[in-house]
Amino acid sequence: MITGPLITIVDDDDSVRESLPDLLMELGFAVHAFSSREEFLASDFVRETKCLLLDVDMPSMSGPGLQLELRRRQQEIPIVFITGHGDESVRPSLLKQGAVDCLFKPFSETALLAALNAALQTSFNGRAKCAMDCEQV
Amino acid sequence: MLRIMGAYQETTQVQSEHSRVVDALPGLVWTALPDGQVDSVNQRWIEYTGRSLEETRGWGWQSAIYPDDLPGLLTRWRSTLASGEASEIETRLRRFDGEYRWFQLCSFPLRDDDGHIVRWCVLETDVDDRKRDEALLTGEKRVLEMLAWGYSFPVVLDALCRLVEDTTTGCYCSVVLVDLTGTHLEHGAAPSLPASFITSIIGRPVNLDSGPCAMAAYLNEQVIAPDLTSETRWAEYEWCPMAMAHGLKACWSTPISSTTGKVLGAFAIYYDKPRTPTPVQQSLINRFTHIASIAIERAQSDAALKTSEARKAAILNSALDCIVTIDHEGCITEFNPAAERTFGHRRDDVMGKQLADVIIPPSFQERHRRGFARYLSTGEAHMLGRRVEMTALRADGTEFPVELAITRTPIDGPASFTGYLRDITVRKQAEEELRRSEAFLAEGQRLSRTGSFSWRVATDEITWSEELYRIFEFDQRVQVTLELIGTRVHPDDVPLMRDMIDRARGAGSDFEYEHRLLMPDQSVKYVHMVGHGIRHNDGRLEYIGAAQDVTQHRLSEEALGKARSELAHMARVTTLGMLTASIAHEVNQPLSGIITNASTCMRMLAADPPNVDGARETARRTIRDGNRASDVITRLRALFGKDGPTTESVVLNEATQEVIALSLSELRRSRVILRTELADDLPPVRGDRVQIQQVILNLLLNASDAMSGIDDRPRHLVIRTERDQGDQVRLTVQDSGVGFEPQTVDSLFEAFYTTKSSGMGIGLSVSRSIVESHHGRIWASPNDGPGATFSFSIPTSSVGVATESGPGAERMSAVTKGNG
Repeated sequence: MITGPLITIVDDDDSVRESLPDLLMELGFAVHAFSSREEFLASDFVRETKCLLLDVDMPSMSGPGLQLELRRRQQEIPIVFITGHGDESVRPSLLKQGAVDCLFKPFSETALLAALNAALQTSFNGRAKCAMDCEQV
Repeated sequence: MLRIMGAYQETTQVQSEHSRVVDALPGLVWTALPDGQVDSVNQRWIEYTGRSLEETRGWGWQSAIYPDDLPGLLTRWRSTLASGEASEIETRLRRFDGEYRWFQLCSFPLRDDDGHIVRWCVLETDVDDRKRDEALLTGEKRVLEMLAWGYSFPVVLDALCRLVEDTTTGCYCSVVLVDLTGTHLEHGAAPSLPASFITSIIGRPVNLDSGPCAMAAYLNEQVIAPDLTSETRWAEYEWCPMAMAHGLKACWSTPISSTTGKVLGAFAIYYDKPRTPTPVQQSLINRFTHIASIAIERAQSDAALKTSEARKAAILNSALDCIVTIDHEGCITEFNPAAERTFGHRRDDVMGKQLADVIIPPSFQERHRRGFARYLSTGEAHMLGRRVEMTALRADGTEFPVELAITRTPIDGPASFTGYLRDITVRKQAEEELRRSEAFLAEGQRLSRTGSFSWRVATDEITWSEELYRIFEFDQRVQVTLELIGTRVHPDDVPLMRDMIDRARGAGSDFEYEHRLLMPDQSVKYVHMVGHGIRHNDGRLEYIGAAQDVTQHRLSEEALGKARSELAHMARVTTLGMLTASIAHEVNQPLSGIITNASTCMRMLAADPPNVDGARETARRTIRDGNRASDVITRLRALFGKDGPTTESVVLNEATQEVIALSLSELRRSRVILRTELADDLPPVRGDRVQIQQVILNLLLNASDAMSGIDDRPRHLVIRTERDQGDQVRLTVQDSGVGFEPQTVDSLFEAFYTTKSSGMGIGLSVSRSIVESHHGRIWASPNDGPGATFSFSIPTSSVGVATESGPGAERMSAVTKGNG
């Protein structure tokens, strides 16, 4: 039934893990939610994830830390950070490190869709780039 | 007489007629030859002496002369014969019954025409009564003189007895006295009676039975015992045998009474033959008794005077006060030893000198003289009968203060004065010291705005110090009463004061309380009152206490409380800054949920067909998250809103959990691993919930900060609540951070002390002031391992209720009033 690209949510907040998947599904995405990065990394969904919605303020490994880990695994997934702290100052550094976007809670459906589209575009481009790279090889 | 004798010579015819004339003369007559030999006597001579002419003739008359008088008489008779001149001499002649009487013998010569003495005629006139009277008068005079000259009492009485014995031939005389108690006889005088007789009389009781003198004194009546051989009275004391053993046969005892009728003693005359007093003797006895009474009374008043003199001397000599007497001219007539010591003058040196010159300083002398002169001339006295203070002069010229009282000596004649002086240098100094110390006290009271009072509970007599009047703004002339005080007490505090008074009346225990006064100008004063109950020996209860005007203190306390409150608020706002991210997170999280869920809900409803179940679920979540956000806001408002402090029952665990909820995300962000160990059975505490939470939050954030640089070990943080000793509950925050240097433990809680570059250093200081205002304490201790432990404990509400009636609670409520 759900055929859209897989969006994976990593957030320790119950409320987010509860509400966001429903909305994304209504928007036609496939969704998986994890309460911690470790859980996510240990799952089978890493490869299939087209976009990662990642909470900045995770008690254990920080958001950017996960990004580095994924890069190390050569599993670069477009990441959209979400944060509840409303601290605008974190945004530039996150973007600089390669994040697609940074959403400040609470964010609107429109902002979410825009970010996801951008991410999926990146993902597509990335895949295309990847495919082209493979073909060139 | 000459003519008679001449006629005798001229005409012998009329001799028998002449002899009848001679016989009729009121005297005894005899004639003698020129050589002194008696040749005739008249009939009266024969009758008086009981001697015939034959027995008298020649020198036979000598046997009629009192033996003691005879030598003097013979000498005089011979010299008369030799001179041929008339002469007079007095001598005692023996009467036929043996009694001697005084006669005046007038001898004159009868001469012939040639002038030759032919005969001597001797006329003897009875002068006994006159003589006796004379002797008596002389004797009395002598006795009275002795009295006047101050002869001792026994000597005077002795003389009196001798006078009696001389006047009344053949008797023995004694005087006994009644002792001071009026019950026994004492010795007076008895010059001619045997000592053994006297000693057996002395000491006998004054009654009817112990003897005639005792009886006379007892009855105040004369007792005559004319013949002891037949006397039956006083047998019980065997008085008669005793007297007769001393050769006495008669006793006449007469009481001696004072002018007021009091019996002083008895006067007794004894004879060695039975006798009854003749009227003449009776009158003599009366006279002697009278003299004796004068003597005794005089002696007694002398003794009284002597006692009084001795007393006066003792008073003068031993008086601690100086006693100086002066006469009407201002000259010193007495100067006692105390005066000698005080003024440094010797009595002998100043007696008779002008008082003014001796003890009055020159500057006052003129005034003294004027005052003295005015009194003497007008009787107007400024000094008399008053106690005055003045300056006196010592012999060495120094001046010193004395207290002086002058009285006019109450005697007749020229005025005389007695002055009592006392050196009051020491007292003056003490008074000065007392005055100074009182001044100090008053000044101290004024400066400290503390008045003192005493309250006698039974009578409600209240005494106030000056300062207390000032505090209450009452006139000092007003008598303070509880009612009057009540008019100043703030209407809201009147019940408090009544309660205090009732309690103080009953218990007698110390009290301390604070209340407000409402002054006439509507200003309010705070008064702190402390009373100490004293139970006097007679059971009366009195409170001594102090009342302090603490208005300034209270106002500054209020200002301080306000400042503290501001500071606490500032600290909270600072904390808010630190929590901004956390709080935003706490709010944004549910907001995010709300928006997401609402979006989902709309999509679900817009679907064809609408997903109603899903929409309902998401709407439910929306509401839940809305509430969650609302809770956060409420908590934030409670913690950071500027509400005044309140006092309520606070469950410490709930308060702690709320703080944890609010700061949880911050703690997480700081990677703090929090463990809570909250005891289940904690009683509530009484206090301000927000303030307590502020302390907890502050400790949590401090702990989190202390661990922010720690990466080599887990950032463990333990919050623990538990019961503490003494009805207190304790909250402990234990971290594993950098800890603190032990020597800084004292300054940790001081304002602006901080180890952090970003902190203001007011968190712990504010926390301490909050905890202390809850009658609790806060402290820090290093851990055995890394990190530190901060704890506070505050009393549970049961303790808080108990302290509410104390002054602390009052003060606290006063503090809180200004901050509403």
